[in-house]
Parts: sequence; structure tokens; C-alpha cells
Amino acid sequence: MKYKELIDRLSEKTGDSKIKTREILQDAVDVLSEQLSQGKGVSVPDLGTFSTKVNPEKKVYNPHYEAYLMVPPKRTVEFNPSTNLKEEVKYLKINDE
Amino acid sequence: MSEKITFKELVELIAKQSQQSQSSANSFITELVQIIESGLKSSGSVSISGFGKFELRWMNERKGTNPQTGQEITIPGQNKVVFKPYKALREDINAPYAGLKPRIIRDQVEESEAVAPNPAAKSEKKESIDDLLIERENPHFVKPFTKETKSTKKPEQTKEKRPVAAKIPGESRMAEEVQKSGSFKWSYAAALMIVLIAFILLFFMLQRDTETPEVPATVHMEQVEPPVADETDVVAEPREQTEFETESFSVEPGQSLWTIAENQLGNPYLWPILYNLNRDLLINPNQLPAASEIQIPTISDPENLNEFEREQTALGYFSLYEWNRENNPEEARYFLWAVGVFSPELLDEPPSEVEPDDLAFALSR
Repeated sequence: MKYKELIDRLSEKTGDSKIKTREILQDAVDVLSEQLSQGKGVSVPDLGTFSTKVNPEKKVYNPHYEAYLMVPPKRTVEFNPSTNLKEEVKYLKINDE
Repeated sequence: MSEKITFKELVELIAKQSQQSQSSANSFITELVQIIESGLKSSGSVSISGFGKFELRWMNERKGTNPQTGQEITIPGQNKVVFKPYKALREDINAPYAGLKPRIIRDQVEESEAVAPNPAAKSEKKESIDDLLIERENPHFVKPFTKETKSTKKPEQTKEKRPVAAKIPGESRMAEEVQKSGSFKWSYAAALMIVLIAFILLFFMLQRDTETPEVPATVHMEQVEPPVADETDVVAEPREQTEFETESFSVEPGQSLWTIAENQLGNPYLWPILYNLNRDLLINPNQLPAASEIQIPTISDPENLNEFEREQTALGYFSLYEWNRENNPEEARYFLWAVGVFSPELLDEPPSEVEPDDLAFALSR
């Protein structure tokens, strides 16, 4: 489902205009990403838990430079779907778009 | 991470941000979650701009063991929900680590660990510096020797260095032991070190004195064996290559430089070498006259090109770049990029003028 469809359906449900819906969704996204970038986990009922994880610095071989590279640490987002959601979609057959 | 905010806090924050009541923010999120779920069910993916994309990924059936009974079971295929953060979110999250670049570690030597800095005694520090000095010097002395095939003086130098290198690890090991046994007095250790250094120096002075007048060749043959082995190794190393050994090859209908490179050289990506070698015959690299005789080089190990072969490949790609710049300007830059793949140095000093745009493209990859 594309973002536009999501907004369409969301505005139908809430009764707000599409523009308003879009704004609120962006606010929600802003709040979520702000909390995540502070290193806090956020759990949303029935959807799952978002959290962040730091991948420590590691050594890899780069064949182009023929040398080892020290790759700096990186923080990434992790998503853990709720049990409910997992079970709902587990044995679903998806018809691609 | 360990810290988490509750759903209630989240709703409060969203309500504040979007200036609406908490109850409407709450119902908004609930609706959103429902739509995400139904979206996943209907099309398998839901994307939220500026945030990320939820996707279903089909996991194939696989074998597993029951951790409690140890029994083998088959885990049936199933869908997994994955979340792929978009760039904006990724960058937001990674902000504390932004701007860090991977750095190249050139010399991956274990010795650096052996010579770990010893914080304590002064003499020991001096020792470790000595250690470093000698180890750095060593390859330096061997190198000139590798280039010249045989000279009488140089073996002697390498031989002189060798015993030092052999002794040093012993010393540093002792230093470690000293460090471990805390009861050992540092002054003793220091004194011992100095004495040892003095001995080693004396040893070399004496050796040099006795050796120089003699004919070195015979002396080191019987005295020290490792350098001799080393010498044969070095002599066996190939000389600087300046030209390919070529043989002629007659082209059959349907063959291209690419397929010839693949069959004869072992790596199709080396075809520019063929182009460069047969420039008098080939003007357009994409047209190879059938039944013509072309020169093909012999390449010993297509997986591991030596310096010269790489340079030649890079030069080949450069000729292709020149041709394409005239005839196919849109794709020329890809050939310049390939030059950089085989020989980054050649990009720094291109043999002839290159378009600044193309160069920037080649360097940016």
C-alpha cells in the first residue's frame, strides 16, 4: 500500500481532510523518530515495538583497496512486531498488488 | 534501548505536537495501526513517508530442532513482518555517529600487539622504541636487496639485522613476565635490559669487525642459513615486466574481444588489453574482423594480476575511454571509472586530457 492510499483510508476513517490527516501523521512520525533518536524504545499496541540498536565498530576486508577497513559504529532501528500482528499475517497468501 | 516510553506518553506527545486532544490522538493511532494491518494483509507492504515501510517477507519452510526435546521438526513456511526505515529516519537515528567514515588499516601486523606500550619503567619504554625501530628498518633493508639481483654487500646487512629481530621477541616476552610478576623490582629489570642491549650491540660490533674483511659470500653461506633461503626466494621473484609475451590468435566468426578474453585470458574483463595490443588492427573496439590475426598476451593468473598487467588493463580501458569519448560520449565515463578500478594511480595522472565531469564521476565511485 502506497503512502497516498494510506492517507486516503485514514482520512476516511477519522473524517478529517486529507491534508489534515497527512499533517497529523507527519507529527506522529516526528514524535516517534525523535524518541527513537534519543535512544528510547517506543511500543505501539497491536503493531509492535520500535527500538534502536548500536552496531559496534567492526573490521571488514575490502578487496578494492586490498586492505582492511574499520567500519565505524552505527545505530539502527529495530522493529519487533506484536504477537497479534505476527499471528494475523503468518499464513497469509499475498497477491502482489 | 533499555529505556522505553509507554503508549500513554507517546499519545500525549503526539497530541501536544499536533495540537489536538489526547483522545483523538489515541483514536488516530489506533486507526493507523488497523490500516497498517489491513494494508499488510491486502498488499503485503505499507509505506509511511519519512518513516519507513512495513513489509511481509515469506520465510521458506526449514528444519529446526525443538530446544526442549532436541527432536527434529519442520518449521512450516510463514510470513514475517519486517520494517525498513527510510533514509530520513535512518539518518535521524544515526545522528550521534554521523560523519564517521570507515578508515583503512594498512599494516595489519600482529607485531604491533607484541610491542604494546608498557606504561611502567623508563628503560622498558626505550626498549619498545628500539624494538619498533628495528622492526621498521628490517623490511627497508630487505627491499633494495630484492630489486637488485645479487650484490655482495646487501646480504651482509640483512644477515646482521636478522639476529636482532630474532632476539627482540625474547626480550619483550621477558618484559611481559616482569610486568606480570609484580614483586620483581623495576630497577632490576631496567638494569637487565640495559645489559642485554649492551651485549647485543657488542655482539654486532664484533661480528661486523670480523666479517667485513672476508669475502662475504662464503661466510654467510655457512653461518646463517635463513638469509640464504631468503636469497633464493628473492632471485626467483619476477623481474619488472615491461612487455607481454604474446602469441597470435586467429579470430573465428562470432567471436568478440570479450569472448576471446574470457576463453584465452580467463577473465572477460581483461578484454581492453587485447584492444590496446591490437590497436593497429582495431579502430572500433566493438568491431572485430573475422579471420584476422590478433596478438594475445599470456597472463599467468587472471584472478591475481600483477602490477604490470593491471596497468595495461587500465591503459586499455583508457584507450576505450578515448574512443568512446569521440564516438559514444554518453557512456565514456564508465570506461574511465573502470580505469580507476584497475589502477587508481592512472586516474591521478591520466595519459591525456579527460573531461572533468567524467573524472569526477570516475573518482566518485
